[in-house]
Amino acid sequence: MMHALEITVQQRPEVLERVLRVTRHRGFKVTQMQVRINDDTSMAVDLWVEAERAIELLSTQLDKLIDVMHCKVLPAVSLDQAANS
Amino acid sequence: MEAGQKMRGADAVIKVLAAHGVTTVFGYPGGAIMPIYDALYGGPVEHLLSRHEQGAAFAAVGYARASGKTGVCFATSGPGATNLITSLADALLDSVPLVAITGQVSTSVIGTDAFQEIDVLGMSLSCTKHSFMVTDINELIPTLYRAFEIAAEGRPGPVLVDIPKDIQLAALEYKTPLQSVNDELQPLVADLDAAAELIKHAKKPMLYVGGGVGMAGAVAHLRQFIDTTGIPSVATLKGLGSIAHGTKGYLGMLGMHGGKGANLAVQECDLLMVVGARFDDRVTGRLASFASNAKVLHLDIDAAEIGKLRQADVAIAAELSIVLPALTAAVAGKLDIAQWQVDVEELSRKHQWNYQHPGDLIYAPAMLRRLANKLPEDSVVACDVGQHQMWVAQHMWFRRPEDHLSSAGLGTMGFGLPAAIGAQVARPDATVVTVSGDGSFMMNVQELTTIKRRKLPVKILLIDNQKLGMVKQWQQLFFEERYSETDLSDNPNFVLMASAFDIPGRTITRADQVEQGLDEMLNSSGPYMLHVSIDDIFNVWPLVPPGASNSDMMDQMEKQT
Repeated sequence: MMHALEITVQQRPEVLERVLRVTRHRGFKVTQMQVRINDDTSMAVDLWVEAERAIELLSTQLDKLIDVMHCKVLPAVSLDQAANS
Repeated sequence: MEAGQKMRGADAVIKVLAAHGVTTVFGYPGGAIMPIYDALYGGPVEHLLSRHEQGAAFAAVGYARASGKTGVCFATSGPGATNLITSLADALLDSVPLVAITGQVSTSVIGTDAFQEIDVLGMSLSCTKHSFMVTDINELIPTLYRAFEIAAEGRPGPVLVDIPKDIQLAALEYKTPLQSVNDELQPLVADLDAAAELIKHAKKPMLYVGGGVGMAGAVAHLRQFIDTTGIPSVATLKGLGSIAHGTKGYLGMLGMHGGKGANLAVQECDLLMVVGARFDDRVTGRLASFASNAKVLHLDIDAAEIGKLRQADVAIAAELSIVLPALTAAVAGKLDIAQWQVDVEELSRKHQWNYQHPGDLIYAPAMLRRLANKLPEDSVVACDVGQHQMWVAQHMWFRRPEDHLSSAGLGTMGFGLPAAIGAQVARPDATVVTVSGDGSFMMNVQELTTIKRRKLPVKILLIDNQKLGMVKQWQQLFFEERYSETDLSDNPNFVLMASAFDIPGRTITRADQVEQGLDEMLNSSGPYMLHVSIDDIFNVWPLVPPGASNSDMMDQMEKQT
């Protein structure tokens, strides 16, 4: 099952490690990732993941990270649009 | 110090600790944290020297768990920091508020494999709630303030702050940062209504109480809820002490080594009300068959626990101290569970513990029950991990969760002795007993020196069956009695060893020595070791075998002696 997450994080040197570590440990495989600087303090991370597990098992854990400001699960339709764009 | 006057980063660290009411830190010095140790010298914060950083951090955990305050520990870079990792992981899995401060090599040499350099921030990612490395002196004070906030807010946990040596030595002007005010997580009215409906319509409700109740300061609220509703209850290892001993319908611990009555009542219930607990595998047995006919009402501060392992019919991720009183008011006088209360009482009667054990051998469960009955009101029991830990959980009783320290989530052998040291520092007037096993005790035995150094009156009850008992039990039951590396018959002379640390003690081997032995230990004014030699035929019963349902507990199988 493929899922897409739209994540906004604080810009810190280790923040991508944090996001990716939680993703791996909770049993999700990253299939695609886009990172861009938003402004002086935040960064956008779009993450596409694959797993048998429910996506909430990942999104709630990412949400708990102190440096994660927002974490939104995109509906499947957005995923298709994103993939085709 | 006058306004505008500069100080070193290291001095600011101590000042931030003092500003947070920290009176004692636990630690071990080394090269990269020397400026902070210099700032400690003669300062307002007391330092307790451990003899291994794992011991320091476990003492901080014991301090935090026994007092409800945030524990603080120090370690140097490299091996000092790596030695903290186990204790940080323990604090993470048991949600203990902890601030660990580590020295780091100077910023100019980070990434060069400098002496005693290891990537502590990288290592901390999987074993802390959050972590920081301070690379700008202006960020030092706000970072430390934030660390204390994060450690204690919401679901508590360990926070590590790695401070390079040049930052510790850099000059700064001390300014108290503006502190953010975190609103308490409020429940939604609609959720409270839905929860109340579930409770009112349940015919066989059961409370499954975890460590979150104590951490949330909601013990009194929970007891009020139980008094008002009469709903029967069970507790997890970390939840012990939340429900008062002798409460009607309270069946003790559930799970792998829980009471049979507790497990069967949960299996039978039609509403499982989960309060500050997380469906740990040691609690649920085979998850698919855990309380499989029950609806679930899940109350926990951590939204990530909701639906993680078991879907809830109604869930509220908010402060228990707000949710429980609201539910108490909403359902008071509206329950119809009289028959269920009778059924639970019957289960309780049918499966009560039997302490009759004829013969000369010391029966540890009976001894621990006697100990619980003898302990004064202000007491703390710190366990290690293994058979003795489960016997403590089954057979002792506690007035509040802060009185029972046990490494629950991580199951760390070596936890007990340093945790007891931390508890004794936090509660100097309390009777602090560490109940340990001959395997676990040797894991942080160096901390006997800390007891000697500070003349701490910690009591050590060492239950010795010359085995790694829990592993041996599993080898006996599930590995065809192939006793691989679990024989400890070459143990040291524990009482002689204790005496080397000025700790008096004695060995008892017979049931008729238990009473006097416990009295001697409890009445001693200083530290004491009661070494209790038991037979290795005794296992922990009952037991849910791995992969089995909690309905299928194995009963006692010992050969009669």
